Amino acid sequence: MTLHLTTETATAPETETVVRLTDVTKRFGDTTAIDGVSLTVERGEIVVLLGLSGSGKSTLLRHLDGLETPTSGSVEVLGQDVPRLRGRRLRTLRSDVGFIFQQFELVGSLTVLENVLTGALAAQRGPRLGVRSYPKALRLTALRHLERVGLLDRAYQRADTLSGGQQQRVAIARALMQNPTVLLADEPVASLDPESSESVMSLIREIATDEGLTVVCSLHQVDLAISWADRIVGLRRGQVVLDLPTAQLDRERVMEVYGRVASSPAELRAIQGVAAADLLQAGQA
Amino acid sequence: MTTTLERPEPTLPDDDVLERAPRKPFSVERLAASLTFMALLVLSAIALRNVGISVPDMIASWDNAENFFGRVGGLSFPEAGELLGLIGLTLGLVLTGTLLAAVISVPLAFLAASNTTPGRGWRMTARFLGVLARALPDVVLAMVFVLMLSLGALPGILAIGLHSVGMISKMFADAVEQIDEGPRLAIRAAGGSRLQEFTSGVLPQVMPSWVATVLHRNDINLRGSVVLGYVGVAGLGLEMSQAFRSLNYGLGLGIALVIFGLCVVMEIVSSVVRAAMLGPSGGGRRTWADRFGPRIVAARGRPARETSSSPAWSASPESALRRPWNANRVRNVSAGWVSVIVVVAAVWVCDIAWGDFLTVWARIPDVAVQFWPPTFGVYGADVMFEALRETIAIALAATLLALLPSLLLGSFAARNVAPTRSARSSARFLLVGVRGVPEIILAIVLIVITGLGMQAGTLALAFGGIGLLGKLIADSLEEVDRGPERALVAAGASRTQVYVGATVPQGTRALIGHSFYLLDTNIRAATILGVVGGGGVGYYLLNASQGSNYGQVTAIVLMILVTVLVIEGLAMWMRRVFR
Repeated sequence: MTLHLTTETATAPETETVVRLTDVTKRFGDTTAIDGVSLTVERGEIVVLLGLSGSGKSTLLRHLDGLETPTSGSVEVLGQDVPRLRGRRLRTLRSDVGFIFQQFELVGSLTVLENVLTGALAAQRGPRLGVRSYPKALRLTALRHLERVGLLDRAYQRADTLSGGQQQRVAIARALMQNPTVLLADEPVASLDPESSESVMSLIREIATDEGLTVVCSLHQVDLAISWADRIVGLRRGQVVLDLPTAQLDRERVMEVYGRVASSPAELRAIQGVAAADLLQAGQA
Repeated sequence: MTTTLERPEPTLPDDDVLERAPRKPFSVERLAASLTFMALLVLSAIALRNVGISVPDMIASWDNAENFFGRVGGLSFPEAGELLGLIGLTLGLVLTGTLLAAVISVPLAFLAASNTTPGRGWRMTARFLGVLARALPDVVLAMVFVLMLSLGALPGILAIGLHSVGMISKMFADAVEQIDEGPRLAIRAAGGSRLQEFTSGVLPQVMPSWVATVLHRNDINLRGSVVLGYVGVAGLGLEMSQAFRSLNYGLGLGIALVIFGLCVVMEIVSSVVRAAMLGPSGGGRRTWADRFGPRIVAARGRPARETSSSPAWSASPESALRRPWNANRVRNVSAGWVSVIVVVAAVWVCDIAWGDFLTVWARIPDVAVQFWPPTFGVYGADVMFEALRETIAIALAATLLALLPSLLLGSFAARNVAPTRSARSSARFLLVGVRGVPEIILAIVLIVITGLGMQAGTLALAFGGIGLLGKLIADSLEEVDRGPERALVAAGASRTQVYVGATVPQGTRALIGHSFYLLDTNIRAATILGVVGGGGVGYYLLNASQGSNYGQVTAIVLMILVTVLVIEGLAMWMRRVFR
């Protein structure tokens, strides 16, 4: 695995900064999706971006993989100035950063194995179609990752024959195929039932700990975030309104911060509603 | 009924409300489009009257027909071996041409689709090339290629190949524009290149719809291949034209019957292949997949879940490297091999003179000089424009004639409109039968019966139009949202009221679009009809080409090109305005 570290960031390996956002603003036409966000994430940290829908979580995550370019401010990931990367170097950075989507984004008509293999495309020259077009060593690695996420026996099924939870685990295997340093996850369990959510979230956490990955994951469930993350960054209307390790947080504290920043009663109700739904889920589980 | 009578008369709301209510927005463009639409309808009606289709005349000409069939004295066919060879050659030529078009269409679709194109300029260029290819009739292309290449299959393949690019690249691009962008984004996020995004993210999604398009076009090309014979392309069409020319009607009609059978068989084969391919995968058109996808996925997912005790091959990643031979894999692999064999056989049977590709370049300048400058020659502009007017009149009249029967048949063929299952299946069956008849053959037969002229051409086109438009209407009526229909049923509406109140309004836009598509197709088809004597500008086209007056050919082609482009532009505009 190659690390693209400039001399400044490589000085202190103990607290090596993997993600550094400085005053990032992103506008789409008249709407401001991200409003002057500064944020650093150290190697091995497991961070949750917490916020309601429309708070800018997804847009922020997409900046970290070069899928969006900021209107102003700088985005540095693994020591690279992401918005300035082009072509081969951008693709190399992207292959060092795994991305897990809310809707899994597998190609439904391809087999599970081929979907996992697409994670290795950046390391391959030219187009690939069919499992056999990938080297045997890669196929074996892909199967190992599938075994790890518990879906080895589904390797040759079409991806769209799997359940949502299974599809997300395939997507995790695909991200592992990239041999990533950083793992980004955009609402990875928002489309899943409570049981699958539980297994997917613990799988991500387990893999991240084993591989020493840095994780930035967006969520909207307060309780899940507190029990899962090392650190919570609260977003509201594109601004950071909370940034604390979970050790110093409890549910009331988060809700308090949320309650204080919620400007309208409707917004407050929305947050409380989400929290109530979380409680209900926790009670069932 | 009585309760409604007892209700108080509805009173007009206060003027105040009427004033406050927003006015229906007035759009000049919409008005212009409506006026154009009306004008086209009126023109079509006039054209239909001028064509002079009268039932008494047709009954009168029945004697003619009897007379004619008496003279034919029974059908005759080429001897079996020769017939088989001709069938093989025709099928191979058409398939190779269609595949050539498909291959050219892939990069063109990539450039033309709004989500994959590298830039606006590329997109416009690719779309324009498509429109141009569609506007150039394959007969014209065949004439040119026959001049430049040695006789045989190659001119036909190239003519079919280049002309079909128009439709195939458009349908390919439309399919690309309809994909789910997610998987493609995932591949980009994993560091894939643009080409890899396309092959791994886009291609697997569009494949079923692309194959369906190619099969559909192949059917069209098989029907169209008949007329290519008239300009010297080898195959059944050539044999037939020679038979008719030497007044051997029995043989000509015999070959026509063979072609008809071939078309019907091909139509059935391709619809079976389409169903087999789309069915289990639930792919293809989005609306279709949405309706059937979940159920199929559930049905297919279940057995997998039941056998949760892992199969032997999945004991370890090493053992899983060998892909198990399950029913699915057997099916896919055998389907793959069959298609490879068919393609290889198709190319082989054409016996392509590959050397032509080396020699043709030297001949291009000579041929090009012959085609320039365009001239109306001995006919003069009057005759030519009169002929063009005749062609347009045939197309308009045929479209108008096809509208009502298509709406009727198409409605009965739609699952949500048909009163009974059997009504639906017989309507569908009828449509397949109608579509199977090559318009050219119908025209030839009609010409033989009613004599040369517009009447035969119009009737032939109208008949073919019913097959095409009826199917399109049935499909789009089946694709409308079922919600409003259910709401009207719940409100106590009758079957007809549901149809008029919910089904048709939702399908209107598609209906207008399809009607223009038919007009578009008919204009092109009408030019070709003239080649076999169905009236219009095609007659002069064939004459000019056979008399080696290539300047005239250029002039006529330019006239056709402009007309087709104008109609195409009009259709695009109408579809946009009435969206």
